[in-house]
Amino acid sequence: MTVVEHETTGPLDKLIWAISRVTMWLPAFIVAIILFEVVLRYVFQRPTLWVNETSLWVAGAVYMFAGLYSMQQRSHIRIFILYDLAPRWLRRTFDVISTICICVFAFALVWGSFDEALEKLMTWERFGTKFNPPIPATIKPLILVTTALLALQAISNLIYDWNKDQGERQFVEGIEDLLEDLGEDHLAARPSGGAEGHSGQTPDVSQQKAKPGQRTE
Amino acid sequence: MDIGTISLVVLMGMLVLLAIGMPLGFASGFLAVVVMVMKFGPDLLFSNFGTGPLNLLGQRIYGITTSYVLVSVPLFIFMANLLERSGIARDMYDTLEKWMSRTRGGIAVVTALMAVVMAAMSGIIGGEVVLLGLIALPQMLRLGYDQNLAIGTICASGSLGTMIPPSIVLIFYGLITDTSIHALFQAAFVPGFILAGCYIAYILIRTNLQPHLAPLPEPREGDLTGPQKRIYGLSLVLIIVAAAAAIMVARGLYFNAAGLVDEDTNYASASYLMKAGAVSAGLVGLLVFGIGLKTAKAAWDSGKGMVAPLLVVFVVLGSIYGGVTGITEAAGIGSVAVLLLIIIRGEFSWRILQEASMRTFKSTGTIMWVTIGATALAGAYTLSGGPTYVANLIVGMDISTLSVLLIMMLVFLFMGAFMDWTGIVLLVMPVFLPIVLKLPRDELGLFGGLDSQLAVQVWFGVLFCVNMQVSFLSPPFGGAAFYLKSVAPPHITLPQIFRSFLPFIGIQIVVLMLILFVPQITTLFL
Repeated sequence: MTVVEHETTGPLDKLIWAISRVTMWLPAFIVAIILFEVVLRYVFQRPTLWVNETSLWVAGAVYMFAGLYSMQQRSHIRIFILYDLAPRWLRRTFDVISTICICVFAFALVWGSFDEALEKLMTWERFGTKFNPPIPATIKPLILVTTALLALQAISNLIYDWNKDQGERQFVEGIEDLLEDLGEDHLAARPSGGAEGHSGQTPDVSQQKAKPGQRTE
Repeated sequence: MDIGTISLVVLMGMLVLLAIGMPLGFASGFLAVVVMVMKFGPDLLFSNFGTGPLNLLGQRIYGITTSYVLVSVPLFIFMANLLERSGIARDMYDTLEKWMSRTRGGIAVVTALMAVVMAAMSGIIGGEVVLLGLIALPQMLRLGYDQNLAIGTICASGSLGTMIPPSIVLIFYGLITDTSIHALFQAAFVPGFILAGCYIAYILIRTNLQPHLAPLPEPREGDLTGPQKRIYGLSLVLIIVAAAAAIMVARGLYFNAAGLVDEDTNYASASYLMKAGAVSAGLVGLLVFGIGLKTAKAAWDSGKGMVAPLLVVFVVLGSIYGGVTGITEAAGIGSVAVLLLIIIRGEFSWRILQEASMRTFKSTGTIMWVTIGATALAGAYTLSGGPTYVANLIVGMDISTLSVLLIMMLVFLFMGAFMDWTGIVLLVMPVFLPIVLKLPRDELGLFGGLDSQLAVQVWFGVLFCVNMQVSFLSPPFGGAAFYLKSVAPPHITLPQIFRSFLPFIGIQIVVLMLILFVPQITTLFL
């Protein structure tokens, strides 16, 4: 597996990582049902009722779970300009403040919406359309649960990253795995020291290109 | 507490929290709570567990999760991730390079053209810059192209992904401001092409004035000659038209055979089928007997690398503009199209699908939680009367319409240098757009104003989009620079990269001013 994921360091990390292993397929699932709908509508002229609302429902879950995964992977958008300049003790202070703020947000969210979410779950409130999926009954409680988990994950990150040296930070999150993935055949196809950028997929072209390449070297 | 103090606290709080490296989405979420506390006081907020004004936060987040058009965001990300992992872009480069290598500055133009096509396939920046940096940068440097020209071209045109429809920036703008995304996509086309056209014109003019910036490669055997290009180009067009006509005939025959034709069905009548069939057969005849199968085959080989990407563009944009499907479905179908191409090219593996899914999931989480936090803050701030306060502040300054707009552009440019575009559109737009809508419509632009509220909303959205183009290139946080840095040879430093952006930022600002002064550019197709 070439995708570089952040290691799973604590029990919560492992749980969220496991959940993400399943939920990460949901976008592909949405694509699949949209294909189904479009084929039914335009080829058989028998549109479905359920695809639109199901994709909406599933997407709501995707946003929530994906936020958890991003938190576990430490990939939420942040600005590091001052953070990287700060000495170790100050960075730890920053991290503690951030984590407290995240917990305050999660706490306030749960405080204000708990009753409503519980009520919708208990009455199994539906979306009020023809297909009528139970979107309010599921997504509302899910928002609270994931936000609470996010706060816990933030605390877990704080604890497990406390003694970790950040080292040299990659400028763009997630780029290293993309690079590795894109670059492996790319780099392999490069003659040593040359800048040939072609893989073996198009042999005729890369042979043509080898000529000017040799010229410059 | 009065709204002036609250506004100040929000602004200061945002700066401090971002500076200490707190994730943007959660900083916004926390500030939303702070605003609520200042507005209502802790007693009212926390007197009863489970209810109270804080319910607003949950309401806002739930509202975001039930927006159908937002479903297109993970799907576009998915599509972009699949594209990055296929050889489609590399083949496109090879094809374009064959046609353009004998032109001065040709590879830079190829890079820009490739970026435009990729921008029309999906609406994400990042992957594009990385792809171009991997494919085109080594070639340009090897040929002895000026490093600044090469880098600037890659990053500026690679950022077009969020300008040329489908654009994720416009989707968010439409969502936040209740503007028709369809209209936004129609409006952004011309400005997007003006921008791309300016880049290409700049490359051509500059390299022709200073040929040492872009040396021509040595001629080689396989080079296409002028007459060859003409006959190949003609054959390619003929092949594509013939194929399209044949597909329409097949579709019509199927509909007739399956008995699915009703009064809403277009292009299925007998006379239409006869015509399309005749066109198809005639063109095939011309290709076989007039041009010759061998030439037609050679033409196909020289151009087929462009067919797949253009097909995806046609599927995505065709279904949006043609009104066939909504944006979400277009994104889904686009993903299917890319996936099919990957399978046809024999590149498919479960690993590709799994990695694309995993990356999609991570990026979706990142972008959605910025959205979630920002929507909570925007909700709390609106509830406290913030936007009205700022609007009155600016209107009360008693300055001309143009000055108001210029100030806003400066604010966008300044914020864009430090902040992610998602945060800007979610936090600033609810404050700025109402002000713009209050400005006298006939004073917008130099040559007559805009005639409807929709036109103003769309125009401002496009302006914002161009602003964000600048923000991808502007130091110290211009995203494109970091993407490129991650794939560039190590001797290219960040300051060098940012320096190479200067002429391109200049072009962007000129285009920005053009759209600001001539808003009609955006309403051509409304």
